[in-house]
Amino acid sequence: MVTPVKRIVFSFLATVSIVVLLFAYRTSTSGRMTAAPAISGGSVESTPAPSSTSNAQTVTGEVASTQWGPVQVQLTIENGKITAVNVLQYPNGNHRDVEINDYALPILIDETTKAQSAQIDMVSGATVTSDGYIRSLQSALDQAK
Amino acid sequence: MNTARYVEHVMGMPIGLALRGRHTSDAQAHQAWSKALAILRDADRVFSTYRPDSYISRLNRGEIQVADCPPEVAEVLNLGEQARRESGDAFNVRRSGALDPSGVVKGWAVERAAQALAKLAGTDYCLSAGGDMTCHVASPDSPAWRIGIEDPHHLNTVAAVVPIRNGAIATSGLKHRGNHITDARTGMTPTAVASVTVVHSNLTWADIDATAAFAKGSDALTWLASRPGRTGLVVLEDGTRHVYRSNATRLATC
Repeated sequence: MVTPVKRIVFSFLATVSIVVLLFAYRTSTSGRMTAAPAISGGSVESTPAPSSTSNAQTVTGEVASTQWGPVQVQLTIENGKITAVNVLQYPNGNHRDVEINDYALPILIDETTKAQSAQIDMVSGATVTSDGYIRSLQSALDQAK
Repeated sequence: MNTARYVEHVMGMPIGLALRGRHTSDAQAHQAWSKALAILRDADRVFSTYRPDSYISRLNRGEIQVADCPPEVAEVLNLGEQARRESGDAFNVRRSGALDPSGVVKGWAVERAAQALAKLAGTDYCLSAGGDMTCHVASPDSPAWRIGIEDPHHLNTVAAVVPIRNGAIATSGLKHRGNHITDARTGMTPTAVASVTVVHSNLTWADIDATAAFAKGSDALTWLASRPGRTGLVVLEDGTRHVYRSNATRLATC
């Protein structure tokens, strides 16, 4: 007998594997595939759900170390089904494109300073005026290139 | 791949362009950039509420009717009306009887201006107006543009990075211009949300939705999840970050 919570964790782990394999597939030209990543578990919390249904749960996985770097995913589960997958972290190494489809883009949240070293082409922010531009991150980017 | 960058100021905001590929710095690139800027300046002349001679200012003074204006005025006002209905009145280009379509015009105008850049064969572009941008890559092999989303609490750091190949991204918040977004239903400035970022196929609706969701305040995430084909990030005033994705969006992986 599998409890609902265990079932959720199982499907969560299965999905972690799928996401990791997706990375593995996309980057397989540059490296040999290794064993499954170490996953130490997940946490379940009730949601501030961006969903109209009342029984949605958000599950945030712990960071899994892979050959390509850390991977972390967050799932939204409603009625025992996964309704959304967010990739919170993915490796910054040799991937080029981890889009899942046109609209389901992975939004990569970086906790602190690591995002600063990631290559960024443009900055999206609350409307920058010409007066504010000179002090903006975009301005720094424009001058650096 | 080398990226060429251009910056000009139009409509009181920086317009930025990044180009990579075949035409980055040649005569065709410069011509396309000039054309894009001309389209933005035209939009400003038609729609600016700061210019007494714009069609919008003349409409507001009752000197002319919409039928007397260029057809894009009706197009923009119709978009504004659609946005009002779909946002449950939180977004409205009419306030106290006066028209101010600037919440629609920016994204719409940049999308039009980008058509000039789309004529550059074999060239990827990313065109930004004050932090909202539309991106394009010319080939399936081109890498995505990597867009940093500004952290509304620490303006010189990014809260997240999103790769965009063909699509648009818009962010609304209060930090750069003071309290310029208000909920049209109450006239109040929302305080629950620090910034809203919307990724969508076109900038017209990415920009409208970012503004409307911001105006909705604590309802922002619920509303965004109901909008088809949107994904993005909401940073709340307490600093927490929430990635959302439309309920209507299907994932290819599971």
